[in-house]
Amino acid sequence: MKRKALATGLLVFVSLVLPRQSPAFGETSRLVFVQGRYDGDWNPRPGALRRLAFEVAVRTSIATAPEEKVLPLDSPELFFYPFLYLSGTRPLPALSRAEVENLRRYLTFGGFLLCDDAGDGAFAASCERELGRILPGRTLGRIPTDHVLFKSFYLLSHPAGRTLSRPYLTGVVEGGRLAAVISANDLGGAWARDEFGAWSYDVVPGGEAQREVAFRLGVNLAMYALCTDYKDDQVHLPFIMKRRR
Amino acid sequence: METFDDWKLVLLAPWPRWALFVLAALALLGVILAARGLRQERRRARRAVLLGLRTASMLALLFFVLEPGVRHLQTATVKGRLAVLVDGSASMELPTGEGRASRAAEAAEYLRAVMPALSELERTHTLEFYRYGEKLQPLSGPGAAVEPTDEATDILGALEALPRRQGGRRLAGVLLLGDGADNASLSRGMTREARERLRSLGVAISTVWTGDGRARDLAIESVRVEDFAFVRNTVEVEVTVSAAGMGSLEVPLSLQREGEVVAQKSVILGPKQERQTVKLSFVPDRIGEFVFTVSAPVYEHEATVANNSETFVLKVIRDRVRVLHVVGRPSWDQRFLRTLLRNDPNVDLISFYILRTQQDQPRAPEHELSLIPFPVDEIFDKQLWSFDLVVFQNFNYRPYRMDRYLPNLQRYVEEGGAFVMIGGENAFGEGGYDQSPIASILPVEAVGAAPNEEVFSPRLTEAGLRHPITRLGSSAEATRRAWEQLPPIPGINVTRARPGAQVLLEHPHVVAGGQNAPVVAVAEVGRGRTMAVTTDASWYWAMVAARSGEGGARHYERFWLQAIRWLVRDPDLTRVRVQAVQRTVPPRTPLAATISARRADYAPAEGARLEVDLFDAVTGAPVERKVLETGPDGTARVEFAPPGVGAFKVVARAELGGVELGTGQDVIAVRATTAERGEARARPELLQEIAEITGGGSISSTARRLPPMRLLEPEVVEVGRSEDRPVWDRFGPILLLAACLGGEWVLRRRWGHA
Repeated sequence: MKRKALATGLLVFVSLVLPRQSPAFGETSRLVFVQGRYDGDWNPRPGALRRLAFEVAVRTSIATAPEEKVLPLDSPELFFYPFLYLSGTRPLPALSRAEVENLRRYLTFGGFLLCDDAGDGAFAASCERELGRILPGRTLGRIPTDHVLFKSFYLLSHPAGRTLSRPYLTGVVEGGRLAAVISANDLGGAWARDEFGAWSYDVVPGGEAQREVAFRLGVNLAMYALCTDYKDDQVHLPFIMKRRR
Repeated sequence: METFDDWKLVLLAPWPRWALFVLAALALLGVILAARGLRQERRRARRAVLLGLRTASMLALLFFVLEPGVRHLQTATVKGRLAVLVDGSASMELPTGEGRASRAAEAAEYLRAVMPALSELERTHTLEFYRYGEKLQPLSGPGAAVEPTDEATDILGALEALPRRQGGRRLAGVLLLGDGADNASLSRGMTREARERLRSLGVAISTVWTGDGRARDLAIESVRVEDFAFVRNTVEVEVTVSAAGMGSLEVPLSLQREGEVVAQKSVILGPKQERQTVKLSFVPDRIGEFVFTVSAPVYEHEATVANNSETFVLKVIRDRVRVLHVVGRPSWDQRFLRTLLRNDPNVDLISFYILRTQQDQPRAPEHELSLIPFPVDEIFDKQLWSFDLVVFQNFNYRPYRMDRYLPNLQRYVEEGGAFVMIGGENAFGEGGYDQSPIASILPVEAVGAAPNEEVFSPRLTEAGLRHPITRLGSSAEATRRAWEQLPPIPGINVTRARPGAQVLLEHPHVVAGGQNAPVVAVAEVGRGRTMAVTTDASWYWAMVAARSGEGGARHYERFWLQAIRWLVRDPDLTRVRVQAVQRTVPPRTPLAATISARRADYAPAEGARLEVDLFDAVTGAPVERKVLETGPDGTARVEFAPPGVGAFKVVARAELGGVELGTGQDVIAVRATTAERGEARARPELLQEIAEITGGGSISSTARRLPPMRLLEPEVVEVGRSEDRPVWDRFGPILLLAACLGGEWVLRRRWGHA
């Protein structure tokens, strides 16, 4: 109990000393992360999304909700929160028909899905399999490092997470935008902090520099979900090319 | 007793031609068989004698079969026709030279002078008189007046329209009288095709020119431009200008849009370069139909000043709607609007999103970020007028020192631009806009109340039920149902409608200033339009509505795309339309237009009262007003008396049952001159060339005599009766045949042949 009170106090302190965002106009325009709940190990990295929301709010002009929502995959309430985070250490069980239908509508009409493998790659593989059911006919492929996702806020050259198991991200394009992104590098593991503010997991092999890349990728993912290909607009290209050199 | 003055040989045999050929073949066969039978004869003389006798026999036989005879004839000489063509086109009104009589008067004088000579020709030729211009028309006689009224000159067409043969008489020659100012197939001079057509007439054309081709005149000969142009894209107007008898001079040309100069260029003309084509370019900055005038100065002693300007109508359309999307911070509302605009091929989207504020800490040096400075000066000072629509979405202008640019935005809207403000914690009163220069262009004003975050279902107003922005269904009932089915949304900026604004959607119970707080409101500001959307949750109508199917998402698209079309004044959303029957008309032509009026539900407005005004487009002065009523199809036709030269606007205001339906307008240009009247210069060289090609002579009318004429000789034709006298039934030929046959028979027997 004391530990929880201390953690809450710390959070209040941090929120007071850090520069404040303009208050968002209700919750509707804030970025609220939703963690998908399913039968199995759906939340292997508690606190990861809370930390990402905090970092996004501090680093960018995006207004975020400090706490993520947790919703089942067949919930109609998902449609109020177009950023869905799905994590696991073991293969995702085959989704029910209702879940597939719901996620198909969700992704088709504007939702964004981030699948984060916190294990050995089996979860990522199962997500790829289920995406084939959710969006049949769409091709799942590697996201090249010159994709706008890698420059939506930070200029990144590669993806990273708690690990560097897979040096690339995969994704599915729907309606001209990435509707789903799959990481096999345990992004949540790099983001997660415990209630005392300590990092929950060590980041290997790159240490804290790699953790920073993981956060930057998280920020870019949030920025991409909201701005899509904004940084591909012609007006940005000369600046970005100059900085890339 | 009949007398014959001519004869000719004829064949009197009644047999058909093929039978004659068969007989000739048989005769030839007889000769060949004889030659074969004489192969054993060694003496060549004998062989030749026998073969000669056989050949003579066969020829004599054919002679009898063909029955030759002599036809005695009576003949007569037929007079050819000489066509005299006189120019009746309007250019003949012009003087032959400075201070001299008109070309038409000169032509009449010339005809009078040469009439005796023409009468001389009447001995051998019949004279026919015609006038030509737009087409060939016969004249009653040599003295008939030729009024120069035709608005075109087609010399070749007139020559080809002349009957080659009439009443059995062939055309023997043509005398062509005029100024040579052709504006049909010979307008650009003599082409190869024109030469061929002249030669194929098969008759010599002698020409007489009036006017000396040295008239002092500056003319805008032609203006070439597409019928339509794209706004903000360069338009090139190709102008051909010519000067005759003016010496060397630099001519400043100007292109004006309804009185406003949009392009200027000078062109140097002289005796060696009498004609030049130049391009005047400009960039149209707004859409619509406009009257443009290309003009050159008027110099002293010009033959005509009517051709110193030329008028045309240009329709300026947009290629794509150019939208500037400025966003205070990334949000779902911005994301869904961006996706919609990006996916619309008719939209050219330019976005500026504030991704980091002064308070944010990216924890990275600048070169590791993809951020660019917000180019406030570039956008709001230099580029603003290049946009059709500006959208401020939850954008706080104050941190970017935009106070000095907001007056530009106000002016941009008043001059025809479109502006939308979308709600959020940085919009409307919350963003300090109620104290800004653009407060007056917004459809709503702040009331000092805090934003209301309560979830609510917006309610359609009566205006919203009919307005093209909020009409989501095919009928009022379908529209109401569609809005009721959309999910409730959370939160609005609490405002009230400004006077003159139309509220289309309102909060069901939040009241501000005695009215329900607007959710969507629109206003007409000067020539522009604005819209306020006081929520930042319209994306619910896309994403949240999609929970149960895609119908809701379509409503979101429809709402925003209809809003854009209304804001940028899509012509299809205009309820009163005026369409000129002809946008460019020659002088002295009545101006006609069709007006269509639609009711609020866009059905034809039958019985609508139309007040239609004709204005001078440059000065704005009223010219004429007509009041009429639409028919069952909601349309009416209006016609104004010819108003003179210039640019005119037809403006219609429609009203039905005391309710105004709206206004519409179109433009009509009345040209200063036609191509016919604009070409002041006579072209004697063209007439000389016509004569040369066809073998005729050419002369100036001042010579007062006929040019050399090469007329076809009169034709000789058979007339009256004829008489055939056979020559085959005489004694001589019979004797020859008998002698040949008998001689051959006797000699064959003597020389031992069968």
